[in-house]
Amino acid sequence: MSGFDTRAAAALADPLLKTAVERTAGTAEAKRTLAVSAFPDFDAARTRAAAIKDHVIAHLGHYLEQFEANAIAAGAQVHWAATADEACRIVIDLCKASGAKTVARSKSMLGEEIGLPHALAEAGIGRIETDLAEHIIQLADERPSHIIWPAMHKTREQVSALFKAKHRTPHEEDSIAAMAESARRELRDRMLGADVGISGANFLIADSGAVCTVTNEGNAELSLVPPRVHIVTAGIEKIVPSMPHAVHMLRMLARSATGAALTQYTTFYTGPKRPSDPDGPEEMHIVLVDNGRTKMREEGLADMLRCIRCGACMNHCVVFRQIGGHAYGGTYPGPMGAVLTPALDGLAPNRDLVHACTLNGKCQEVCPVRIPLPTLLRGWREKSWREGLEPTSMRMGLGLWAWVARRPALYRLVTRLALRAMRLMGRRGWIETLPLAGGWTRHRAMPRPAASSFMAQYRKERRP
Amino acid sequence: MSARDAILGRLKGIAPDAAQAAALLVAPERPAVDEAALEAEFLARLALPSVSASHDAIDSMADLPAAIRRYLDAQGEDRTLCLPPDPRLAYCDWSGFTLHDVAAPAEVAALAIARRGIAETGSLVFETGPAAPMLPNFLALHHIVLLATRDIAPYLEDAPLPGAQPRAHYWITGVSGTTDIEGTYVQGAHGPRFLHVILLRA
Repeated sequence: MSGFDTRAAAALADPLLKTAVERTAGTAEAKRTLAVSAFPDFDAARTRAAAIKDHVIAHLGHYLEQFEANAIAAGAQVHWAATADEACRIVIDLCKASGAKTVARSKSMLGEEIGLPHALAEAGIGRIETDLAEHIIQLADERPSHIIWPAMHKTREQVSALFKAKHRTPHEEDSIAAMAESARRELRDRMLGADVGISGANFLIADSGAVCTVTNEGNAELSLVPPRVHIVTAGIEKIVPSMPHAVHMLRMLARSATGAALTQYTTFYTGPKRPSDPDGPEEMHIVLVDNGRTKMREEGLADMLRCIRCGACMNHCVVFRQIGGHAYGGTYPGPMGAVLTPALDGLAPNRDLVHACTLNGKCQEVCPVRIPLPTLLRGWREKSWREGLEPTSMRMGLGLWAWVARRPALYRLVTRLALRAMRLMGRRGWIETLPLAGGWTRHRAMPRPAASSFMAQYRKERRP
Repeated sequence: MSARDAILGRLKGIAPDAAQAAALLVAPERPAVDEAALEAEFLARLALPSVSASHDAIDSMADLPAAIRRYLDAQGEDRTLCLPPDPRLAYCDWSGFTLHDVAAPAEVAALAIARRGIAETGSLVFETGPAAPMLPNFLALHHIVLLATRDIAPYLEDAPLPGAQPRAHYWITGVSGTTDIEGTYVQGAHGPRFLHVILLRA
């Protein structure tokens, strides 16, 4: 079995995982549906959001230079990283230069993508994850399983046990409110004592040089205002031309992610503390990270650069809802992860991901920026075939089928024989085991086929 | 070649037409707001469970301390308050209050003056400046916000203020909350658990 098969099998066998995933994804789906139905013409808003992102991606170089110039004018320092390693090196060097012992991190998927938690650990720099879910998985020493709810795979019972084992003064009452309070007690003073605050960016505003973050917990602000240094790591595709463009994207992001009209805290940071400001960091650094994005733009995956990381595609994915996020193996799970991971980490080790999809199209229907995820997945499947990455059994099977299909008389004969055999196997109305398709019939039976093929019946019926 | 040159080298292209970017913003889809009843629209959003802010109203700045006293008394909290160094607050009579201007890690109550209110979402718009620190608004358990009703605007597009961009421009739409455990909404995650808006109707 491949890595993905093994992980998916383990996920399916986990007695708690499906409950945990269903509780959060189910709630998210219901809330999004309500929010979208209350919004005037969400479909037109999706088209506009896609057009804004397409415009930016078509003129990405121009907007990046504009953003850089404005951020520098506001006093920020802008760094560029072509790869994940380069980005981590820049962040670690900045931390070391400021003598940082601990950093407070506000949840950022880009930080996960470039392996920042690992790089900080290697450099001996303490990391305080301040988002509640990231805090949970830091305590559990796990990876995020969802881009909005990284601890989606954990039930309340599991979180309760974890906090009781690891918090200094854990909750007594077993309610979710008491658990959140326990995390608040645990994190508040540690957050305020951090030397550096590290965040991602939901949007980079080209015409002002501002970095926008959104949170519901307020942890970004509590992590980024007190430390002396604020470091932002952001993918280059996060640019929007101006704040009104960001406003439209924010309306789409909140509704698609959590079903809210807006997140509780939306902050635009422009440069470091001004001389007369009572608080704020003295240095602000922005690391603009490529890590495969320019290549995606050049190689037919520009549509994927529209992604605003809302998580709606995974919340509505029948496969994700069964196996959760960890089975996908990469930083990004679900449909958007199945498209992104091969681009970031190579197709060969991730060939299975692009097949872990029923192509039911639900992800595309809910995507706020209309990413044609099923089409992109089909593109990866074709590439996998062209590059000979599909297993021999698949190649031989399809090769054989193609050979027969090009010989109509033979094809009809084979079909007739197969139908006869299948009707024999399904004497009781259903076929319970089928050679070469044991995996399929292990969990379900196949209906007994008709006595003759559609084409045969068609020819017969057409005769006067 | 530097990473910057390598990245920008691959992204070369024609500069966008400014009109093209502006055209993307014509008649945006957004929730309807009755612009003739901005205060009512704003208060309706404030009361939504997702925002869950309480509110009070005063007619002049002189009434502000009494309104805050009413709120803190009703909450059973001491009359201790973190106050921003805003000259407009110096004319209020704060007798009976214990005041300070640097927030404690476990601050109970902090006052802030919002620059705008947004009716579309019930958001409060703030900007950092010499008289407007940011941290107290996130540390306090009770976040008390003064907002002049004339500063209520209909849409999020109206949030940007004229003048130079401050270090931080931020929107607060409710209390600190989380759905990180099983998607269940809990208030008071890291920041304020209570948000109380005092409308100044003068």
